[in-house]
Amino acid sequence: MKRSWRLLLSMLAAFALVAAACGGGSDDVSTDTTEAAADGEGEAMEDEAMTDEEMAAMEDEAMDDEAMDDEEMAAMEDEAMDDEAMATGDFNVGLTFDVGGRGDQSFNDSAAAGIDLAESQIGISSSEAEPNADGSNRAELLQLQADNSPLVIAVGFLFENDVKTVAGDNPDTNFAVIDSPMLDFDNGATPFADNIAGLTFAEHEGSFLVGAAAALKSETGKIGFIGGVSGFGLIEKFEAGYIAGAKAVNPDIEITSSYITEFPDFDGFFAPDRANEIASAMYEGGADIIYHAAGGSGGGLFEAAKSVSEASGSKVWAIGVDSDQYNTADDEVKEYILTSMLKRVDVAVFQIIHAQAAGEFAAGNTVYDLSVDGVGYSTTGGFVDDIVDQLEDFKAQIIAGDIVVPTEP
Amino acid sequence: MSFTQFQKLPAYYRWPILAFVGIVVLALVQELTGQGLLTSTTTIQTALKWAMPILIAGLGGLLSERCGVVNIGLEGMMILGTWFGAWGTLQFGSPWWGLFFGILGGAMGGLLHAIATVGFGVDHIVSGVAINILAPGTARYLSDRVFAQMDGGSISQSPRVESLGGFTWPVLAKGPDLFGRVERLDWFIVSDVFGVLRGLLFQMSYLTAIGLALVPISAFLLTKTRFGLRLRIAGENPLAGESLGINIYRQKFIGVIISGGLAGMAGSLIVLDLAQLYRQNQTTGRGFIALAALIFGNWKASGVLAGAVLFGYPFGLSLRDLEGTATRSLLLVIAIALVVVMVWAFTKQNIADGILAGTVAVGSLLFFLFTNTAPSWLPGTMPYVLVLLVLVFASQRLRMPAAVGLPYRKGGS
Repeated sequence: MKRSWRLLLSMLAAFALVAAACGGGSDDVSTDTTEAAADGEGEAMEDEAMTDEEMAAMEDEAMDDEAMDDEEMAAMEDEAMDDEAMATGDFNVGLTFDVGGRGDQSFNDSAAAGIDLAESQIGISSSEAEPNADGSNRAELLQLQADNSPLVIAVGFLFENDVKTVAGDNPDTNFAVIDSPMLDFDNGATPFADNIAGLTFAEHEGSFLVGAAAALKSETGKIGFIGGVSGFGLIEKFEAGYIAGAKAVNPDIEITSSYITEFPDFDGFFAPDRANEIASAMYEGGADIIYHAAGGSGGGLFEAAKSVSEASGSKVWAIGVDSDQYNTADDEVKEYILTSMLKRVDVAVFQIIHAQAAGEFAAGNTVYDLSVDGVGYSTTGGFVDDIVDQLEDFKAQIIAGDIVVPTEP
Repeated sequence: MSFTQFQKLPAYYRWPILAFVGIVVLALVQELTGQGLLTSTTTIQTALKWAMPILIAGLGGLLSERCGVVNIGLEGMMILGTWFGAWGTLQFGSPWWGLFFGILGGAMGGLLHAIATVGFGVDHIVSGVAINILAPGTARYLSDRVFAQMDGGSISQSPRVESLGGFTWPVLAKGPDLFGRVERLDWFIVSDVFGVLRGLLFQMSYLTAIGLALVPISAFLLTKTRFGLRLRIAGENPLAGESLGINIYRQKFIGVIISGGLAGMAGSLIVLDLAQLYRQNQTTGRGFIALAALIFGNWKASGVLAGAVLFGYPFGLSLRDLEGTATRSLLLVIAIALVVVMVWAFTKQNIADGILAGTVAVGSLLFFLFTNTAPSWLPGTMPYVLVLLVLVFASQRLRMPAAVGLPYRKGGS
């Protein structure tokens, strides 16, 4: 009796240790990094499934004959082929995610897709890290990445201050921060240091186009917007562009906006259950198209679109964000995704790695806007094929400067 | 009827009366503020949905604490429930299997807690915290091994899972829709009451029905059965129980494992009913809110239900309330409730409490008058504020199991 108890316990203890060590929760550097640091190779086994899926998604995109995708490919190739041939390099890139990390089928996965592409096209290796739940070890992770990599990419504006500090300590390592310009605005908007680059996006311009699409497609004259977290300026850009685009088509359109949480509570990016409830309330209030800028919560919106459509018998739509969510969403909900606002984090990540490989890393901010296809809209599913001409028209006007999209609602 | 007479009524009279008073207050506020949302069918449905995880996990806490083991690991057991709930559904193709494995996963957490606290006499809080740390790590490790290999899954998220679904009560809420008709007549209070009742019966999910049924079941189990009495003596006076020949270890083990199973069920409810996918951190501290509901409810099944509904209601309302105006009118409800508390305290000659309640009531009223929309943090903080108020004003009336949290060793007398 006693012996069997001991056996059971020791098994439990062993399991606990394994789980604690390997899982690590959102706790520390994931095993990927430590392995990469140890053998200098990067790309741990676990990521392969994800990689395949993303590559498939990217290939899908490339296969589509839509004008948009061709242009995107062309833009990427242009950039890549500037010096006659694609630069190659076998250095390591330290990709540092923010809390939540890989697997949100949105923002972070888009960055991961850029790394995966760079691995196959440029030949780099990579190591990934993700901070613990309260984000208190960001600086240590950056330092760990800098020890092994000549280029460290931080995904998310929350890395701003830590990158400034760590970049000062590591003058030979280049740093790039996504979603932050990394410019010293008190000092004439100059880069903080020669080894810091910012990669920002004109989310408001892309949102303008999906807003216009929503207004063109809406039959009830009511549309909605769900933001993940309000109060830190970024998500409001999406809302402002969306509203401006919708009003440009139909000045009388009714737009309901709602945010899941307020800064500094970032739960709003991981709460599909709450997004589902808010979306249901909007649909029941008469909105027939809802756009979300809520990262991992978006799945709840798609779910709501499906259940409301099935219950009421008339189809309502959802609009995705960041990646082409028609490709990543479950088959059951795909048909409710009208379009997605594309924020090509993958392009930005790929290009900064390419610049590093070619020895052309430049400090300062690069803005990915409509003119370089850094933002845009997706046509997968074919639901917006009939209005592509109008959307392209708006796009041309924005690029030409005839329409100036506001960044605050 | 005086207050003391009311207190002597049996619970199955008292709670409906209190609920009715609550609805009347909501209806009054609704009239005053011109809000339609407070007692509408959809709001009640949402509130009920959001109360369920708190209720079921709270009942889990009840069973554990009644047998003398503090279960602060509820949150961790819920997380195990979310993971296994999603896994069971994906693996075996039916959400009912998901529910089964969710309960099993939570029960495994309960078993671990029981082995540590009952078997080895580890401090209950230490063991509970350990489970809360271990569970998310385990779930993430398993996700990496299982969900990341699936289409649409990743280290932090599972592919979509089917919902358990639900049913609408015939006659009352569909077909003739008797309750709906009365609700649409728009008679003051009467329509509100029927709006609430219809909300309970309309598209009720199976898990909600099970959760509500668990309240009388666990109350009956604890108070009327031999098993329940033995369980309770383990939490009240284990040495006396031991002297009567009861195997206290066994009672505690059973209690804590059932507790974990219920927490796991609450977790799988979040996956199967609310989100329809597993997502890391999606319990967002509801295990701790369940403990708050347990304290609020004075370690009684009906009290846990009241706590869960009170905590779930503002949250559900705020999600439905796109303009933020209905949530704001809740401040008026709080002010009214505190005025009642104040009057009650003064009649009991409890001057300090009365003044405190009055001050908070005035503050709440001013907050109501000088804002147009409620801030989004308000519903999330309500559980904690309510529990604080209960602890301040009714702490003498709270009665926790006498031996809860104390180590027990056989033959220790």
